[in-house]
Amino acid sequence: MFTRVSDLDRLFGTMSLLQKKLNNLNSGYGQSSGYKWEIESNSPRTNLYENGDNFEIHAEVPGIGKDNLNVKIQGNYLEITGTRNSDAPEGYTTHKIERGMGAFSRTFTLPADVDSKKVGATLKDGILYLTLPKSEAAKQKKITVS
Amino acid sequence: MDKNQEITKKEDENIEKTRELYEASPTVDIYENEDEILLHADMPGVVKDDISVNIDNGTLSLSGVRKLASKGLANWEEFSDVEYIRSFSVPQTIDVERVEAELKDGVLRLHLPKSEAAKPRQIEIKTA
Repeated sequence: MFTRVSDLDRLFGTMSLLQKKLNNLNSGYGQSSGYKWEIESNSPRTNLYENGDNFEIHAEVPGIGKDNLNVKIQGNYLEITGTRNSDAPEGYTTHKIERGMGAFSRTFTLPADVDSKKVGATLKDGILYLTLPKSEAAKQKKITVS
Repeated sequence: MDKNQEITKKEDENIEKTRELYEASPTVDIYENEDEILLHADMPGVVKDDISVNIDNGTLSLSGVRKLASKGLANWEEFSDVEYIRSFSVPQTIDVERVEAELKDGVLRLHLPKSEAAKPRQIEIKTA
């Protein structure tokens, strides 16, 4: 049985399309520091929620105290950086290390500007909860139909 | 006639199921010294009541369920409700009665002390 050349073309075409899409994954929302498409073990996973007038970002940051976290906001640009220090006890031999240690950084371009004075941040059980109220100009306005 | 029967069978199979909980393996660090073995596991967002640690017959099983406070629809979701589950073989020399566990900042720390009989002992040589 001969495989038609057009079928082979489609096969490889979809593969390269998939690769391109995966490469672009990071550029849309949050960019991790590091190569594209290779997610560093350090970069915290985040969720973005939009509730009317607020954005909420939740980030997985286990084992990190609030002194080791920095959150910076400017307009619609948000940056979360931090360091995870090793909690290896002294004098023990190490059998296995899977958790990533060291510094990490993640930046986000939010869909709208944020009012930086009203931002709230809480750290609980290893998850960082950020509440980012939208700036006045970016809020949705009700338009009355006369 | 046959086609009608096939259709009814297929409808029975469309039973709605609630989304099952994803299972994930928590990342761990393992350390050891003369007295004990330490195991640190990352389980962000899990509360103490949802964790179970079992040691049975040389196997240590960890299980922690994370349920996020539901926030409605997410624009972008990289982590969600998950069950962290992982098992390890532990040597028989662990004193199961004295195992301790603590949970802080989403990291579960287990202390597995070795039983006295297993600790290395220096044997003194007496000259006769």
